[in-house]
Amino acid sequence: MLKEELLIVEDLWKFIDGKPVLKGITFDVSRGETKVILGPSGAGKSTLLRCINLLVVPDRGRIIFDGEDVLKRRDIHNVRSKMGFVFQHFNLFSHMTALENVMLGLVKVKKMPKHEAEKKAKEALMAVGIAEELWNRYPAQLSGGQQQRVAIARALAMEPKLILFDEPTSALDPELIWEVLNVMERLAKAKMTMIVVTHEIGFAMRVASEVMFLDDGMILERGPPEQVILNPCNERVKRFMDRMKYVYSLDTG
Amino acid sequence: MISELLYVSLKYGLLLLEGLRTTFIITIASYAIGFAGGLCIAIARVFFHKILKVFAGVYVELFRGTPMLVQLFFVYYALPEIGIRVDPVTASIIAIGLNSAAYQAEYIRSALSSIPYSEIEAAYSLGLTKLNILIYIMLPQAIRIAIPTLTNEAIYLFKYSSIAYFVTASELMYVGKLIATRTFLYVEVYVLLALLYILFSIVLSEIARYIERKLQIPGYVT
Ligand SMILES: Nc1ncnc2c1ncn2[C@@H]1O[C@H](COP(=O)(O)OP(=O)(O)OP(=O)(O)O)[C@@H](O)[C@H]1O
Ligand SMILES: [Mg+2]
Repeated sequence: MLKEELLIVEDLWKFIDGKPVLKGITFDVSRGETKVILGPSGAGKSTLLRCINLLVVPDRGRIIFDGEDVLKRRDIHNVRSKMGFVFQHFNLFSHMTALENVMLGLVKVKKMPKHEAEKKAKEALMAVGIAEELWNRYPAQLSGGQQQRVAIARALAMEPKLILFDEPTSALDPELIWEVLNVMERLAKAKMTMIVVTHEIGFAMRVASEVMFLDDGMILERGPPEQVILNPCNERVKRFMDRMKYVYSLDTG
Repeated sequence: MISELLYVSLKYGLLLLEGLRTTFIITIASYAIGFAGGLCIAIARVFFHKILKVFAGVYVELFRGTPMLVQLFFVYYALPEIGIRVDPVTASIIAIGLNSAAYQAEYIRSALSSIPYSEIEAAYSLGLTKLNILIYIMLPQAIRIAIPTLTNEAIYLFKYSSIAYFVTASELMYVGKLIATRTFLYVEVYVLLALLYILFSIVLSEIARYIERKLQIPGYVT
């Protein structure tokens, strides 16, 4: 039987220019869970996500992904191919069409034959609502929301066990935010395991199985969204949430 | 003037064409060496560690820091001293090619380092290896970015190939000098040479512009 936890992060530390950015982060993520990370700018949210798939190498701690110690693995490429990453600024390959963007990992990492990869990529694009007439467009010919959905398809096509989202809607207009969040909500319903860094507390309220509040490299509070967002214990978290609720006009009841 | 131009063109046309052919051989061959060498050096400088990086850096500084003519003389006169004998055209191709490699390396290197790190990071996140990222993400974009400077380099080489004259390679310049001394029509012959250089420079830059358009990424504004 598969163990319940897909990801275990233990006492994770990261120093940048001698300054601690992550100070002993510990948490775990169960299969099928959507974990939402909230926190102010500079808290270390991006650094935490980047550490999990070793885009940034942590200085101390352990990361156990799918039963394996990630930091001890030499074939980090294999580990990364099982974790999707969705970036704030989409980071699509600008010289490739939407379809080619999604196919690249399938062909070069999963070594799939071209026609099979193409079929799979098209399915992934359909799944995020990118219609056929957009498949051969280049990133610069797509709207932000479309680009982000292609980026999600690119991650999704690899059949990852976990997808990391780093503020996937922060660079989008409100209307486009909805189309991206909608896709993510569907993924959550389909029991995709996700860690989502976001400021969308409405999304967190609906989808998160647990919310963690990160500030200054530490987890200040964690728990169900109703607690952390609506009724936080920690003073710092409370102040932050009051401002968020004002910005998003969320009724506190 | 016009009648002299016609006279030279008709009487020595074949000779001029042969000179032009040699000029093109030197240009194309040295450009190919320069591009292949430049690509390797640029990749070494951006991508590899310590020793290779230093070696590539020294190469670039050495060839950019000394006159091309000195390099040409070195290849033509110094190499035979250690037993490597080369004919004038080959010597020119080697010298101009090695020199151009240093410049093309810099063009490609600056293009490589102008690729947004965000895309490279995205490629890593998919599980691509460093080598695959170089081949599929970095080089295709770097070459596109470098196209204007790289094609310019081809036009430079076309003109600079005339220094092969100094080691008696029978390229356009050399042939021109020959005709001029034979006919005493110095001005006319050099005007004719200038016209030929201009004509083919324009042709080359038109080809360059065509390639640039062909490789353009739709919707992408740089
Ligand atoms: N490459 C870097 N060089 C220098 N400092 C860095 C680097 N990356 C992160 N930092 C620092 O680490 C801290 C955490 O950065 P991080 O990007 O993880 O924060 P964040 O919570 O994602 O913030 P934001 O909401 O603005 O994205 C910040 O103080 C930042 O200045
Ligand atoms: Mg961030």
